[in-house]
Amino acid sequence: MSNIFLKNRTINEFRWENLGDVKAGREDLGEEMPVVVYRLMQFTMLDVLTKEFGSDKANEFFTKAGFLAGSEFAKNVLDLTVDFNTFLSNLTQALVDLKIGVLRMEAFEVESGKLVLTVGQDLDCSGLPVTNETVCHYDEGFIAGILHAYTGKPYSVKEVDCWASGDRVCRFNAEVAS
Amino acid sequence: MGDLLYAPRQAHIEPAEFSDDLKDFAEGLSVFGRMVGETRTLANQLSRGELNIELPSHDNELAAPLKALHATLKHLAWQTKQVARGDYSQHINFMGEFADSFNDMISQLETQRHRLQQEMSLVGRQVEDLERSSSLFEAISGSMPEWIVMVDKETGEHLFVNHPPESVLASEIFEKQLFEILLEYAKPMQMSDEPRTESFSLISDVALQYFELRLYPIMWYQHEAVACVLTDVTQEMEEHSRLEDVAYRDTQTGVFNRHFGMQKLGEWVGDEKEFFLVFVDMDMLKYVNDEFGHGEGDIYIKTVADLLAGVSGEAIVSRLGGDEFMVLLAKKDAGGRDFRGMEELFEHLRDTLAASSQVNEKGEVRYARSMSIGIVDVKKGNRLSSSDLLSLADERMYNYKRAHKKDRRV
Repeated sequence: MSNIFLKNRTINEFRWENLGDVKAGREDLGEEMPVVVYRLMQFTMLDVLTKEFGSDKANEFFTKAGFLAGSEFAKNVLDLTVDFNTFLSNLTQALVDLKIGVLRMEAFEVESGKLVLTVGQDLDCSGLPVTNETVCHYDEGFIAGILHAYTGKPYSVKEVDCWASGDRVCRFNAEVAS
Repeated sequence: MGDLLYAPRQAHIEPAEFSDDLKDFAEGLSVFGRMVGETRTLANQLSRGELNIELPSHDNELAAPLKALHATLKHLAWQTKQVARGDYSQHINFMGEFADSFNDMISQLETQRHRLQQEMSLVGRQVEDLERSSSLFEAISGSMPEWIVMVDKETGEHLFVNHPPESVLASEIFEKQLFEILLEYAKPMQMSDEPRTESFSLISDVALQYFELRLYPIMWYQHEAVACVLTDVTQEMEEHSRLEDVAYRDTQTGVFNRHFGMQKLGEWVGDEKEFFLVFVDMDMLKYVNDEFGHGEGDIYIKTVADLLAGVSGEAIVSRLGGDEFMVLLAKKDAGGRDFRGMEELFEHLRDTLAASSQVNEKGEVRYARSMSIGIVDVKKGNRLSSSDLLSLADERMYNYKRAHKKDRRV
């Protein structure tokens, strides 16, 4: 007999609360884990998706997942009511606190909303072997999701430099999608 | 390799010129040479502070640290612009000692801004308080009926006026006159002086205005000033004058009454003033009243009163009773007359009165108007009291009346 209280509950549809109470659940091991474990999951998943759907489609899935993550992260972790400078400062600090990466702005045009930023020591790619390609599709979506949550405008984010392409930081160009 | 290091513009290698077994080596050397060249170019650009540049190719691992430096400098440039715009949330957590200094600088700027904001807030509150006080002062001073004029003691300038002069002064010609009076009162005042009260009047052909003036010495914006608070007391003065008339005047004739006349006589005696006291008694008033009615009697009384009032503008003429009058005339106002001169004057008045006697339709005199006179010359060293003097004058008047009885005719 099904449990009425668990009806319509599924882990497949993302909800912030489904991330669970990590502290309670990992009483001894704690909330942190090595980056390598994160990458193990990410790249094996990429491998499977690529073999199943091709690399373009797999990358597209990663971008979409990143967008969802960025939106939820912004809504649940950041204050979306503050001015842009404060928002950026809070975002930078949150990314450092969660050890996602070191965000640095390089340019921002107030009128167009266009911006250039870099992420150093990126969780996804820093230290990867150079393959002469940009690989941070998840980050592209993540950043677009954050910017959309804050500005309410659809953002298109493109990685132009990446550790995997031989750079030491990942550089992203972001602009409001037409 | 030498050219790569010391003559980079000439450094060139053509793998095709190499034999097959060295081609890979030559190709590798060519890639290395490209990377060295790109890295050198980037280093030169960074040394010149050029940041908006085309970066070396992605595969250039040799240039990677410089590309990281380029990214860092780009971010620093952006942070500096943000700071210039007032965004003090910028913080550098890399670049060692430079980061410490930068972060210190931002922290100090933020502290200064915070302090300035506090000061501005304080000044803002003070300005608000001042505006409130000023508005309260304006509301109070504007609604006060008193006229406040702040006069600079040195320059005579009016530092503050709560009402425009035209709303206070009865005539515009008073303005200059008034400010001259205020300066005259204000100038001698010292800052340590107690507030003082004065009263003055402004007179012109068309208007008369009385003021009560209260003077307060005040230091105001480094000016020694005097706050002149003026109250228009014209109405009160007029009322006072009206009451004085009621109290001191004989309503029937307009000359002073007995009370005022006796009061003046007492004062003059007390002051040892030299003057003439003239006791006047109208002749035959009872007869006129009985024969011609009280209306005619009243006309007769008013005629005598007007005649006596015309003696001198300075004379105190008072009606002592129904047909009795007293005239007090200071010797300095008597036009140099002595006792004899006074007798002549009143004889002349008597003639004038007689000439005003009424005649009937046949030209016959209805009754003769006349008066009896008793004059006392009050000299320096007089020992008689006011009642003694009046009795003496009364006695002389009686003697006069008796002596002139035969002159009187109906």
